[in-house]
Amino acid sequence: MLSKDELLGPLAMHRGDAVVVTCMGVTRPWGKYATGTLDFASADSAMGHTADLALGIALACPWRKVICLNGDGSMLMSLGTLVTVAQTGAANYVLFIIQNDTYEITGNQPLPGAGNLDFAGMARGAGVKRVYSFDDANSYAVQLPLVLAADGPVVVVAKVAPGCEGPISRSEREPSEYLKVSLAEWGRRMRRALCGGL
Amino acid sequence: MQAQLILDELKKNGVTHAVGLPDNSSAKLFDLLASDPGIRLISVTREGEAFAIAAGLWIGGGAPVVLIQNTGFLESGDAFRGTITRMGVPLVCLITYRGYRKLAEDPAARVLSPSNLTRAPLDSAALVTEPTLKAWGLPYDFLHAAEDVPRISEAFRKCAECGHAHAVLITPDLI
Repeated sequence: MLSKDELLGPLAMHRGDAVVVTCMGVTRPWGKYATGTLDFASADSAMGHTADLALGIALACPWRKVICLNGDGSMLMSLGTLVTVAQTGAANYVLFIIQNDTYEITGNQPLPGAGNLDFAGMARGAGVKRVYSFDDANSYAVQLPLVLAADGPVVVVAKVAPGCEGPISRSEREPSEYLKVSLAEWGRRMRRALCGGL
Repeated sequence: MQAQLILDELKKNGVTHAVGLPDNSSAKLFDLLASDPGIRLISVTREGEAFAIAAGLWIGGGAPVVLIQNTGFLESGDAFRGTITRMGVPLVCLITYRGYRKLAEDPAARVLSPSNLTRAPLDSAALVTEPTLKAWGLPYDFLHAAEDVPRISEAFRKCAECGHAHAVLITPDLI
């Protein structure tokens, strides 16, 4: 099982100019690694739809890698998204499903089906051709550059130890820059960054 | 009403992607979109996905529309609230209006009473559509016939001016 830092540190090192979209339990931890307006926190947003939002960005910007760090509970809320991801064939899309088998934000209650969930199998069954699973920090760190370079859509299932993140807000009190302003304001900033002031 | 008229109006407004899920009324428009190279059709498995994908497309510089039935709009509440509304996405939503005809024939049926909501000839999806649009803060216009098609362009203009979403309710079946 990986720690969040073991998951996010190598990703920060290899992301290049990719967009990174986060939600739930990795939102604040990724804030330590986030570099600017190409990082998007899907916080104060729609439950379970982060992977869809990131897919939309990927489809609008096919020349740029888009990495979504989705939670397992969030993924369960919209499993059909895996089918949509597969059928769009978005070559620049990498969907991480960060599996800790709990609803971390609300106190680590177990997910329905916890212990029996095979997200890699679900992704393959939905038609995603490139699916990777990691539960070991070393093999993840070694293989990550190849995973990110692969033609997508790619699904990465990362087994991560449960953490203790609490509810996420959008306010000046949040330590992460990308949580200090409203969703609408950050969305406009990212749109300007991606398409030069449209 | 001709689906081609709607497709032409979408093209006039620079639409890049149509995101949605077909129903009996919109099937012809989906057929046209699927074979048209000018607008990319993205089919989703549930309507809530459509709004989140559309929000992402807009952030990425795209010009999407969402095309769904009113039943699917009702399903997509939190997705609509948390993406299009919360992010201030100027999205045009084309929503086919299942059950509109019976509702239009019987104005008394518009009352949201338990008896109307359970009355067999009435479609409860139709009964709650406009109250829901109002409750969720989504302004709307109607597209009843071919002469109303310019209202789609009008919706794009309103979106651009206000920076918020606007719905066009399509009441006839498209052919």
